Amino acid sequence: MIENYLEQLGRELDFDRSLSRCVRQEVEDHLWEAVAASRSGNSHEAERQAVANFGDARAIAAEFAVVSLARHTRRAGIAAVLIIVSVFIAMKARVAWYAAMQLAISDDVRAAGRIVITIDRYAFLASVVIGLGGWIYIQSRQIPAAFDPAYRRQLRRFFLLCGAAAVALVVSVISDAVLTALQLSGTGLSAEFLVPILSMAIELGCVGILIFRIRCVAQRAASTAALTHT
Amino acid sequence: MLKGHLDMIVLAALAAAGSAHGYAVIEEIKQRSGGAFDLPEGTIYPALHRLEQAGLLSSRWTTADSGRRRRVYTLTKAGHRALAERHAVWRQFSDAITGLLAGTRPRETPA
Repeated sequence: MIENYLEQLGRELDFDRSLSRCVRQEVEDHLWEAVAASRSGNSHEAERQAVANFGDARAIAAEFAVVSLARHTRRAGIAAVLIIVSVFIAMKARVAWYAAMQLAISDDVRAAGRIVITIDRYAFLASVVIGLGGWIYIQSRQIPAAFDPAYRRQLRRFFLLCGAAAVALVVSVISDAVLTALQLSGTGLSAEFLVPILSMAIELGCVGILIFRIRCVAQRAASTAALTHT
Repeated sequence: MLKGHLDMIVLAALAAAGSAHGYAVIEEIKQRSGGAFDLPEGTIYPALHRLEQAGLLSSRWTTADSGRRRRVYTLTKAGHRALAERHAVWRQFSDAITGLLAGTRPRETPA
């Protein structure tokens, strides 16, 4: 009976394997200890009582899912800030490389370059402000006990801020890609291109990770909502 | 109503028990409350995880005499502070209600 209960609890939390494993071990210890402490002489009855006292597996799993969602949301907030910092470092490294190699945008595309630089600057600034805002917002909230309307509102605001930061960062990285193309256009392929191309790859990778993290948290929120409502 | 005070109940039980695993926390709650709090035992575990995430508890895995893996929780400094704050708020609330009810008697309803 205990094994069946643990199986069900593990299945309900399957969307988070490490949580599922950890909860299973903890609950298993509890249930067998309850059986050992039982005054009922019948082991089957003691197991049934221990499981009944523990509560409905789905309801317990839903409470664990909320705690897990809160943890992953906070991590996504930290990841957003770290990713923005990484993009900034890659950007600065590329600019420093251009200066060291004395590479400059050719005169015929300079005007277009200025426009793209302006877009890049403001988009990046927006991503910093909004991303930091999202992180501070989610860090300053209490960890919820339930997937209630107040927590759903909190999550919506966080997704809005993270989504806006991601869009701004995508615009900034696209602008960087255009600037890199302008910078390198008209010159022959050489080893000097390695740093700009590598830094662009890092920026694109960072944006990809940010989008992936936001998507993972959204999926987790959907799983938690499903667990709570049914 | 009980759920609203679950965090305080868990913190208080852990403060009394010192380091304890979930089962021992539940036993401590039952014993100290004279069995007044009858909530599903499983509800304590998400609360323990939540309090740990908030930095009010820390946990470590040990091996029990039975050979099973056991997670043991301890109150952190922040946990002790949080408990003291909640205790003060509760005492204030309790004194206010006691004052309000002083001298009143519930009206007896006819059988």
